[in-house]
Amino acid sequence: MTKRIRYQISRGSAELAILSLLAEQPLYGFEIARQIGERTGGRLQFTLASLYPLLYEMEKRGWVEGHWQANQAGRDRRYYRLTASGRRQLGPLRQEWRAFFQALDTLAGVSHA
Amino acid sequence: MPDWKKLVRKRLQGSPRVCRQDVIAELAAHLEETHEHACASGLCETEAIQLALREVGDWHALQAGIARARTEEDFMNHRTKSLWLPALTTFLGASLALMLCQFLGMPPHLLWIHSIGMTFYWPWLASLPIFGAAGAHLSQRAQGALPARLAAGLFPALIMLIVMLLILPICLAIDGVQFLQVASFGLGLINWVALPAFALAIGTVPFLKPEPRRSQ
Repeated sequence: MTKRIRYQISRGSAELAILSLLAEQPLYGFEIARQIGERTGGRLQFTLASLYPLLYEMEKRGWVEGHWQANQAGRDRRYYRLTASGRRQLGPLRQEWRAFFQALDTLAGVSHA
Repeated sequence: MPDWKKLVRKRLQGSPRVCRQDVIAELAAHLEETHEHACASGLCETEAIQLALREVGDWHALQAGIARARTEEDFMNHRTKSLWLPALTTFLGASLALMLCQFLGMPPHLLWIHSIGMTFYWPWLASLPIFGAAGAHLSQRAQGALPARLAAGLFPALIMLIVMLLILPICLAIDGVQFLQVASFGLGLINWVALPAFALAIGTVPFLKPEPRRSQ
């Protein structure tokens, strides 16, 4: 049960992180992982095993769209961009997480920990 | 530098869905770039390779995760779920309702405009909002975009429009351009496309607003 909850939390947070990044600009897998790591000070990190299955699943749901394109170094990379459907997910997802943290804060005082 | 594509293909062997060329190319490109960044940051070749491989995490989890995503995708892709199935539902429902009207012997309301007759199945037209709503609702549930929901709800009218547009040139080619034919075609468009589209739209419109978020 605990494992299941932990899985859902990490999965949901990963979705939010990826959607938020892609809302700014299209990125390819390596850049997504690098930027999330950098911008969270290394607190959130993706392995290939956690990143790509999630990207493919989000693509399947129609939230992101992948296409091959040369990067700045002229190498072919699969860029992901947010679709209109993905953009619509972002607002409610942010709200859910805000509500989740507020609830947790009320219960456990995590913001003062 | 290792052949990253070969390495990825070897580690993911077994599942043809996972071993697709685009998946292997994408994962190999990620590892290659990780390795290059590690080398550029001053790590030696061996350390850089080890760092890149650590980036994978668990190969089995990677294989299983991709297989799961790809299997479901192969089974039924997003467009099938959000457009084709809902559209087919609307079409099937509307067709069956019309058949039922005819089977039950409900007489159509005949309206003559000069020598052109128009047939209105009012009970059928009255039932169309239900099928429009069903198609648009199914599309909305499957996270269909606005055009998909609209097309799913109005699908029977769209099919009739296509059929009529195909028939017109054939009739004109056979009989030549005649006023009566063009007028019949125009009235047919109202009868079998515009009116059903309006009735279907009544049911479709409430489902055109953004869909509620699907729970995870």
